[in-house]
Amino acid sequence: MEQKGLNSHLRDRPAQLRGAKEKGVKIIGYFPGNYVPEEIIYASGAIPMCLTDGGTPHPADAALSVVPPIICPFARAQLGERLLKTNPYYSMIDMLVAPITCQHLKKVTEIWEYYGDIKIFKLGIPHQYDGDFELEYYTDRLRALKDRLEAFTGNEITNKKLSDAIELYNRMRELLKNISMMRSGLSPALSALDFVKLNHASFYADPVFMVDALESLYRGLEKSQAKDKLDRPRLMLTGPNLARGDYKILELIEEAGGKVVIEEICEGIRYYWNQIENNGDPFQSLAKGYLRDRVPCAFMRSSAKKRLDFALKLIADFRASGVIWYELQCCETYDQESYFFNKKLREQNIPMLIVESNYDVSDAGPLRARIDAFIELMKGGPDHA
Amino acid sequence: MLELLELCGYEAHEMEFELPRVRKAFTKLGITDEDILAGKQRLVTYFDIELKGVRKLFGLFVRELVNITLAKEEGKKKVIHGCMAPSFDVLGSALVSNSREVCVVVPNPPFMVVLGFIFDKFVPILEAAEKQWLKSGLVSHCAMVKTRLGLFALNLIPRPDLLITSGSLCETSPKTNDLLHELYDIPTYCYDTVQDRELWEYPDSSRAIQLSAKGIRRMVQRVQEEVGFEITDDMLWEVLRIKGDFSAAVSKVHELIRSSDPVPIGSTHDNLLTWLSPVPLSIDNLVAATEAVNTLHNELQERVDRGVGVVEKGAPKIFSILPFHHTDPRLEHLVNQVGMAIVATDMEFTATRGMPASTVAVTNDPYEAMSQYLQASLLVPLSGRISIILDACKRLKVDGVLNHYHVGCRSVAGDALILKDAITKELGIPVLLLEWENFDPRVYHHEQYKTRLELFKSMIRPGG
Repeated sequence: MEQKGLNSHLRDRPAQLRGAKEKGVKIIGYFPGNYVPEEIIYASGAIPMCLTDGGTPHPADAALSVVPPIICPFARAQLGERLLKTNPYYSMIDMLVAPITCQHLKKVTEIWEYYGDIKIFKLGIPHQYDGDFELEYYTDRLRALKDRLEAFTGNEITNKKLSDAIELYNRMRELLKNISMMRSGLSPALSALDFVKLNHASFYADPVFMVDALESLYRGLEKSQAKDKLDRPRLMLTGPNLARGDYKILELIEEAGGKVVIEEICEGIRYYWNQIENNGDPFQSLAKGYLRDRVPCAFMRSSAKKRLDFALKLIADFRASGVIWYELQCCETYDQESYFFNKKLREQNIPMLIVESNYDVSDAGPLRARIDAFIELMKGGPDHA
Repeated sequence: MLELLELCGYEAHEMEFELPRVRKAFTKLGITDEDILAGKQRLVTYFDIELKGVRKLFGLFVRELVNITLAKEEGKKKVIHGCMAPSFDVLGSALVSNSREVCVVVPNPPFMVVLGFIFDKFVPILEAAEKQWLKSGLVSHCAMVKTRLGLFALNLIPRPDLLITSGSLCETSPKTNDLLHELYDIPTYCYDTVQDRELWEYPDSSRAIQLSAKGIRRMVQRVQEEVGFEITDDMLWEVLRIKGDFSAAVSKVHELIRSSDPVPIGSTHDNLLTWLSPVPLSIDNLVAATEAVNTLHNELQERVDRGVGVVEKGAPKIFSILPFHHTDPRLEHLVNQVGMAIVATDMEFTATRGMPASTVAVTNDPYEAMSQYLQASLLVPLSGRISIILDACKRLKVDGVLNHYHVGCRSVAGDALILKDAITKELGIPVLLLEWENFDPRVYHHEQYKTRLELFKSMIRPGG
């Protein structure tokens, strides 16, 4: 029921949003990476909308008229959607909050700014995530975002509204985490593809509706947990980005006989591992939660070891026996880090496969061949199968 | 060897002391007698080596390379590296001017100029990095970063006690240091700013500058812990003042090139000016560098007075986006051979040029002064970069724009097509886009570049 209800909600969502716009409600788009606190947007009475579509060639290719192929396909897709104007979510936003994270998304933001037809707030993300004055800078920028949103929506953002928004999104994160943790069991009832789609839905659906749907789903899954041991290699999927629509990798792994039981992805999917403190100054709490307390993406300073430690914990907790490193072409920081991860995981006898995508149709063949071979090896070779 | 050193501006009285050092360093670097012969030939072919100013400038790079290579055996006790770290050179100059025990290494400029330009021996350094984690291929890792890793891999530079970089422009340099720390246990420090300036804020960069200043101050504190003595504001101000003299001398040369027809020198030489800026020269050597640039200016003025140039009078005036190739002089040489004159690059212009002095530019804080690099064309957001470039093109009345964008850098490569769009719409002059790697000589394809440059020239209407 809950999945059906959510699907129906998502199908109707563009029409709902158009209706809200007609009533004067602002729709605020933002780029993924989990550095833009939706709580502030929500508390302004606007509707937060994470722009995280990708995985298909057409938008990424369309962007090649304005950027060279050195920009990663996800970032290009964010330009392409804007150029093509066929995606309702991208067409209906009134303002963009752009976190200045990696060079790719920074460039996309600058080009959106060049076209000049939409208001943009650049949210500076200090890459020294654990420094004191950097945290202060980010906190100040969150306050500046509040001021900008108040001016844009005409609504005051009170501490009470922020606290309510934090509570709502904390619940959403908690439920996603609870559902995700169920996959650490012997036989996960939910596939990685279903979980990632659910996670993506949380960016587009009405958040109150989404929390209800997640509650309902969680209760249902608790009842249906299987006890049998999974007869497939359990895998962790890690990398820079998994966009809404970029499901080929998960499908290929399933088809090859593997089972992704946990993802560690920087952009594209919602980060749900920690809660935002909901007492004291809400901006300090949000800054701490979104910048310092989370696992840093690879473009952050001195992040490799911290991400590796987190990944190793996930591998242990979710009983994964191998890792698939899914990289987008031209993502230079993750490409560097793949070497480090591969070396360190091999020292612990954890096999890792590095694969790349440019959102090309032609990606599928080589991806399939490499994933098939990797999973076959993990199963013990063709004889074992 | 003697002849090579003469071509690099060494004086006869220096030879007794310097020759054995240079020999020792070149041996460590694998530079053979054959290389020296070929190097002399490249100097004569691609550079106006008859100019004393050019020779002196080359000499400064050779000296720096020798100093780096022999640092450990000449008793330096602390080695601090700075790579892709704007304004680190100010701290570096203060360190080497106040201590005989500290060696400050900014490896890229001397290795690129000496091993790249002179000896054409740069590729093995890049290949060494590619065998590690900065692989070749579509990912296009920046060859400037590869250089650092390659030099470590080949053991051509002393192991640092502290390795410093900045993330002000990109993430790839800090990420490389992150892995050097994790895999080789090299202590690192990175300072940053945040590139979130919006269009309406331009040209105000005070927010970014103040954040950078805090990071540089923390970097200086970290270095003090390492070297064991205090780096005072006065030390930094003294270097800033002398570097100001150097920058003024360089600007005079640039102004002379921009205003002369024909241009008196090929753009290949610009590397000798721009690459000296990040080198942590001692105060004495900074003064010598300024003298060398002034000598060059006087020699070029003489050429201008005589009407002598590297292209014909009336040759199309080209504005270059990004500086010139940093390890290979052939493309710039080819531009002149085809009959075009590069008169300036966007690297010479900043957001503050022509603007009233802002409250940030006039500062009592040396760290804010050291953060003014954020006003440079490469470090302002795209909207600001467009303004800088359009303004410069209009003022110089150029006939075309050559954007040989550095594919290893997402930030500058990502701008290329939009810059072309803006220039074409606003100025209506032709723009040639050449995708290449600013630091990798393997990208040079003579026939392809020649054909494209000739076609570009044919599209240009002299005088706009």
